[in-house]
Amino acid sequence: MSDTMVSLIGSLADNKSALGRRYGEWAVSAPTIESAVAAAAMAQDELGHARSTYPVLAKLGVSRSEEPGLDAGHPLPVLASELPDWASFIAANLVVDGVLTTFVASARDSSIEPLAQRARKILQEEGAHKVHAEAWARRIVRAGGDDLDLLRVRVSEMWAVSSRWPGPTADPGYAEAVACGMVSFGPETVRAQVRDWLSPLIDGVCLDEPTEWSDWDSEWRR
Amino acid sequence: MSRAGETVWEVFARKEYAEPLHHVGTVTEDDEELAVVSARAIYDEQPWIEMIIVPRLSIREAIRA
Repeated sequence: MSDTMVSLIGSLADNKSALGRRYGEWAVSAPTIESAVAAAAMAQDELGHARSTYPVLAKLGVSRSEEPGLDAGHPLPVLASELPDWASFIAANLVVDGVLTTFVASARDSSIEPLAQRARKILQEEGAHKVHAEAWARRIVRAGGDDLDLLRVRVSEMWAVSSRWPGPTADPGYAEAVACGMVSFGPETVRAQVRDWLSPLIDGVCLDEPTEWSDWDSEWRR
Repeated sequence: MSRAGETVWEVFARKEYAEPLHHVGTVTEDDEELAVVSARAIYDEQPWIEMIIVPRLSIREAIRA
């Protein structure tokens, strides 16, 4: 098992745990009762995905120094504290969830069977998250004004951090994982798929390819 | 947040094919796909085998007592 795959699986679980917590915090304050309930359901999904992903590492003989839990792990900085506004929630739903789910899709037929099993289950549930994100993006775009301006800012902020999660395009560990069939495509394709999905949804957001990697932590992927 | 003008959807579901669909509640959403997500999230207390949503404005009264 390569260090890259250990990092990707562990960080996937860490970020799903944090995303679940952040979604859950909006279950009492979303703008509509329908979305409050949807936020609670998505939080439950994400926490379940985290809880089912951590054991993949154990099945592969990798032990982490810390026990998984709500406050454990090393998530992306944008998930380290409460999402400040509903636009941030939708941006996390679009961008962070989008990047993580695109990675999971690349593991649907992984040669790491426990990962492939989890991936297929996760993808079933993520379909509703994608519908939620797309519908809210369309709603905010239709409304325009300050709400749309804020969403553009939040999506750009989330992209700046989340687009680095898969890692550098030429990462040799990732290339080896693709060659061994652990995942079906690499970081550049993850970013391209998310960008191709987001671009028609919201114009005026920065979805550039990340170029600065000197401070990137390959273990925690941030 | 104003919800004026949004579509109200009536939600129907059943637990067995032998049962008729029962009215289980409503959701208010202007987006059809989001209404489906909301209905499934809100009315998930039973192991439904089928759930449908219908725009309230599409319902026609046959009898009004």
